[in-house]
Amino acid sequence: MTPRAHSSAASWAGALLALPLLLFLLAAVAWPLAHLVRRAFLEDGEALRQVMAAGRYRTALVNSLALSAAAAVTALLLALGPAWILARERFRGRQLLRTAISLPLTFSGVLVGFLIVVLLGRIGAIPKLIEALTGRQALEGAAYTFGGLFLGYVYFEVPRAVMTLESAFRRFPWELDAAARTLGARGLERMLRIGLPIAAPALRSTLAVTFSASMGSFGVALILSRRFTVAPLEIYTEMTGFLNDEVAGALCLALALCTLTVDRLLALGKRR
Amino acid sequence: MRSGFLRRRLFRRTGIALTALLALALLAPILITAAGAFSRAEWYGQRSEGAEVDSTPKLFRYVLEVWGRALLRSGQIVAVVVPLALLIGAPAAWAFRRLAFPGSRLLEAAALVPLAVPGVALAFSMIQCVQGVPRFWLLAAGHLAYTIPLVVKTVGNAVETFDPRLEDAARSMGAGRLETAARITAPLLLPSLILSALLVFAVSWGEFNVSFLLAPPLLQTFPAALYLTYTTNSFPVAAAATLVFLAPVVPALIAIQALGGEEFHRGLPA
Repeated sequence: MTPRAHSSAASWAGALLALPLLLFLLAAVAWPLAHLVRRAFLEDGEALRQVMAAGRYRTALVNSLALSAAAAVTALLLALGPAWILARERFRGRQLLRTAISLPLTFSGVLVGFLIVVLLGRIGAIPKLIEALTGRQALEGAAYTFGGLFLGYVYFEVPRAVMTLESAFRRFPWELDAAARTLGARGLERMLRIGLPIAAPALRSTLAVTFSASMGSFGVALILSRRFTVAPLEIYTEMTGFLNDEVAGALCLALALCTLTVDRLLALGKRR
Repeated sequence: MRSGFLRRRLFRRTGIALTALLALALLAPILITAAGAFSRAEWYGQRSEGAEVDSTPKLFRYVLEVWGRALLRSGQIVAVVVPLALLIGAPAAWAFRRLAFPGSRLLEAAALVPLAVPGVALAFSMIQCVQGVPRFWLLAAGHLAYTIPLVVKTVGNAVETFDPRLEDAARSMGAGRLETAARITAPLLLPSLILSALLVFAVSWGEFNVSFLLAPPLLQTFPAALYLTYTTNSFPVAAAATLVFLAPVVPALIAIQALGGEEFHRGLPA
């Protein structure tokens, strides 16, 4: 932030330029969310208590938390190497690889779910390939198991993780890396002992980005979920299937709070 | 020394190979889907559409016929959301950096909050408390909540990279505020505005979480139509619909990468 605007006229001009944003946020974000909180505490928070008590709703929340956390960590591990390479190395086809990896970023959850079905559905490509190669049937309909759902979440989180990490690695202080190399540290050692500690804040923010994306996603689960349910799917079912707005609202609130809390925890200790 | 060089080369090659492998793994299902729309094979299984889709041109004509309305709806939403997101986000982003006012940091942080709020939760709350607003505008507001943050970030970063003295110089040479904005600021920010527009387009085109709940059944957007296709149509039809969805996204993404879409990663809906 540049400490340039001192005059009150400039201040007013700035506020005027930001006024549409303020009004939009108040009308479309703050007001609805405030309404959600208020409603959740109506009738002594009966609906909220119902959601928090052991049962289907709490299971869905816990499932969402566990699935999102597991997928976020897996995506981070898968993304580390490619992000490092894309940020550091110059080679032919680099731009092509970046574009290919970033492509799934725009996919909605249902599309990702469909792609998993294409790979691992009852007549998916991988089971067909295994059958053609070995003559045995395997992995048919795996898309609809927990494994398939997990794979779907990892699929849409990997591109996010790669892109977030890459831009962090690009701002990386290479002098330190060069110094370590002069002192005889090898590639992998440098990455583990210099790269990772400096990149720790970026790793945390990558986890926050991917985690909150999966907490809110329900397209993947809408296509793939059979027994294993996640919170957004429960919200949708309560809302459209059972017209149970109280429970749906309380679930929304619980889901949003879980997401915001984890994001906050990940942001703790982050510099700046 | 020599072995260090070799090891470094090995490290580099392995890394590039791994990156290519990851890209391939992400692309594989898309390529299979694309192949599905252009070829016939036994393992497609039964077709409910019968002779209507027995050739590739017929397949795409069928998709456009059945989902044309949803496609149109998505086009309308994008046409409204892209300019509005820029109009609301860009001036604010500039003001945050150049004309700071009391509370401007707080407002900037608040603009990014929707990224951490699950789409279903925001959509549900909007339906619950906003009455009397046409659904189309509710839908547009939902899209705006998740796209404005991208504009604020992209334009904010761009404002930081150019020297404020350029604006000061124009002012000291007699240009008014408006003239400075039009002839110095806007041209300097043009690349970031184009990038923002592409980002907003890509996100809005693929948005499902908010749209599926906010749009009434007859006004569904194309990603919601995809859901119906995936659950009711045969594989060739679903594959063709997916390609129709991807057609505008791929060029947009290539353009985004060419413009250096570093802010692309964060906050995209899933």
